[in-house]
Amino acid sequence: MSNKAARNLFIFGSLFFFVIFLGLTVDTMNQIDGRAPEITKEIDAGKMAWQKYDCIGCHTILGNGSYFAPDMTKVVERKPAGYLKQFLMDPRGVKPKAAMPKLGLTSQEANDLVAFLTWISKIDTNGWPPKPILAAAAGVAGKPQSRGQQIYQEQGCSACHNINGIGGTSGPELTRVGANGKDVEWHVKHLKDPRSVVPDSAMPPYAGMSDDDLKSLAAYLVTLK
Amino acid sequence: MTVKYQSQKIAQYFYTFAVILFLVQVVVGIIAAIQFIRPDIFILNFNTIRTLHINALVVWLLAGLMGATYYVVPEESETEVWSLPLAKLQFWATVGAITLVVLGYIWMGLDPQANSTVMGTQLLNEGREYIEAPRWADALIVVSVLLFLFNMFMTMWKTKKWTGIQGVLLFGLLFLALMYLPGMFYSKNMIKDQFWWWWVIHLWVEGSWEVIAGALLAFMLMKTIGAKREVLEKWMYIEVGLVLFTGILGTGHHYYFIGTPKYWHWIGGFFSSLEPVPLLLMVWDAFRTTREARNVTNKPGLFYTVAHAIFNFVGAGLWGIIHTLPQVNQWTHGTQITTAHGHLAFYGAYVLLVISMIYVTLPAIRGVKDYNPARAYLAFWWMTISMVFIVLTITGAGMVQVYMERLMGLDYVAVKTTYNLWFWILRAIFGVGFLIGVSIFVYDFFMLGKEPAPALRTEEQKA
Repeated sequence: MSNKAARNLFIFGSLFFFVIFLGLTVDTMNQIDGRAPEITKEIDAGKMAWQKYDCIGCHTILGNGSYFAPDMTKVVERKPAGYLKQFLMDPRGVKPKAAMPKLGLTSQEANDLVAFLTWISKIDTNGWPPKPILAAAAGVAGKPQSRGQQIYQEQGCSACHNINGIGGTSGPELTRVGANGKDVEWHVKHLKDPRSVVPDSAMPPYAGMSDDDLKSLAAYLVTLK
Repeated sequence: MTVKYQSQKIAQYFYTFAVILFLVQVVVGIIAAIQFIRPDIFILNFNTIRTLHINALVVWLLAGLMGATYYVVPEESETEVWSLPLAKLQFWATVGAITLVVLGYIWMGLDPQANSTVMGTQLLNEGREYIEAPRWADALIVVSVLLFLFNMFMTMWKTKKWTGIQGVLLFGLLFLALMYLPGMFYSKNMIKDQFWWWWVIHLWVEGSWEVIAGALLAFMLMKTIGAKREVLEKWMYIEVGLVLFTGILGTGHHYYFIGTPKYWHWIGGFFSSLEPVPLLLMVWDAFRTTREARNVTNKPGLFYTVAHAIFNFVGAGLWGIIHTLPQVNQWTHGTQITTAHGHLAFYGAYVLLVISMIYVTLPAIRGVKDYNPARAYLAFWWMTISMVFIVLTITGAGMVQVYMERLMGLDYVAVKTTYNLWFWILRAIFGVGFLIGVSIFVYDFFMLGKEPAPALRTEEQKA
C-alpha cells in the first residue's frame, strides 16, 4: 500500500465511521425522552443541586463517577425518602459513622435532590444494576424460615439493616439486637412509630402492617443474640 | 544536539508547567488514597481532592502535548513559529486561567455554598467529572486552544511542507478542540448529559489523544534512531486510522446502562473489543523500527518511547478489553475495575508519552550533546513498578467488590470499609513509591543539561 492510499484510507474511513456515529446519535436522542418519565421543575432543580455540591466527586450515578461512595441510580428503591432527606441535610446526625460530611443543603435542595434521584431510578437502564445472584439464597441454608424472617425479607429490612454481614449499613446492625434487653412489645411499638421510642430516628413507621405480622417480626428480632 | 529553530524553545515553558502539575497531581492523589481509609484526614473533602487529581492530570497532559507540538511543527515545517509573542501570550493566559479555576475548586471545597448559580450555571465547579471547570473557564480554554491552533496552522502555512506527521498531529489537535464543545451546555436530562459528556471524555482519550500519540510516536522513532519517514508515516496512517475506526463507534461501550437504547450493546461491544488492535500495532511498530536501528542518538528517549507503546497497549488495551463486553460490564460497571483501567491507561498512553517527548526534545532545547541518563531510568522503574502495583491492588479491590457487592448483594459501604481495607493501605504505600519516581523525574527535568557531562563519556572523548 502506498502512503497516499494509507492516508486516504485514514481520512475517508474515519469520516465513514463518524457519519454512522452521528446517525446513531440522532436516533438515540429521539429515543431518550421515551425511556424516562417527564422532567419537572423540581427534578431539574435537583439536578442543579447534584452539580452544585459536586456529588459525582464521590458517588457514581448510572455507574459513572468517582467510585468513592455508593451508586445513586437505585438509591430511592433501597432507602425511604424521609431517611434520604434527613441524611442529605445532616449525614452524621442520622448515621454517626457516615463518611459523608454535612454540606449545608437546605430543606428545599434536599427535596429537589430526592425528586431527581427518584427520576433517575425510573430510567430504563437495560436492566442495570443486575440483581445479586447469591443474596436470595444467603442466610437460609436449608432451614425453613420463620414467619418473622419471611416478613423481614418481604419488607426489605436488609436494605438498611445488616444481619451477619448481609444487608445495608444505613440503619443500626441487628445481628445481636435481641441482646439489648428490649422485649417484643418495645419492638412492636418501635416498628409502628420509631420516633415514639427513639426521638430522632430516621426510620419510617411501619404502621400499615397487621398486628400479627408486627409481633412475628418482633419475635424474630429478639431471637438475634 | 541543539534546536534548529530558536522558537522551538517555547516548548520548555509548557513542559515546566506540565511537570509541576504532575507533581501536584500525584501529591493530591496520595491524599485521596488515604481518604479511602480515613475520609476526614484533610481539610478538603474527597470530591475536591479528586477533582484536583483528575483536572491536574488532564491539564498537564494537554500542556505537555502543546509543548511537544510547538517543538514538532517548526521542525517539520522547517521554519520558526509564526508568532512567538502569541505563543508566550497563550502560555501565560493558560496558566492564569488554570490558576483561577484551581482557586475556585479550593474555595468551593472549603465552602460548598460559594458554588452559587450565576446565569443558569455553577460559578466555581460544574459538578461534572473531568470537565468540572465552570462555563466562563470553558470559554477561556477555547480561546487559548484556538490561539494555539491558529499559531500552529500559520507556521505550517509559511512553508506549506505538509508532512504526514504534522498533518495528523494537527488533525488530532483540531479533533480534540472540537470534542470539547459537546461538554459546554446544560442538559436537564441526565441521560443526555451523560451521553454528550462521553463524547468529550471518550473521543478525547480513545480518539483524538490516541491520534496525537500515533503522530508523536512516529516523530520520536524518527528522531531517536533516524528511522525512515516513508515507512513510519505509512504505519502511522494505518494505526491512527484503526484507532478511529474502532474508537468512534467504541464510544458505545459507555452507552450500555445509562438509559440509551440497547443496540449500543452490540455496537459498543463489537467495536470496543477491536480497540486494542491499533495499540498492539503501535507496539509492533516500535519494536520493528528499533530492531533496525543502527544509530541510537537518544537512549532514554527511545527507552521511554518503547515503554509508552507497551504500556499504552497493556493499560488502555488489555485492562480495557477485560471489562468491555456488556455481559461482563453489567457486573463491573461502576466498580474499582474501572479505576484500575483508568490509572494504567492514562499512565501508559499519555504520561509516558509526554515524558518520552520531554526526553526526546529537551536535550536539544537545552543545547546539550550528552547527559547522564541514570536518573531517567531510575525514575522510570520507580514510577512503573509502583503504578503496576497500584493497578494490581485496585484490580483486586474491584474483583472483591464485584463479587461481594454485585454478586452476593452486600452493602457498598460494608465492602469498602472492611473487605477492601488492605487494598487501600497497599495502594497508598505504592502511591508514595510513585511519588518518589515522579520526584526523581521532576528533579532530572530541572537539572538536565545544567550539570557537567557524565565522566565516562568525557574520558572516552579525551582518549
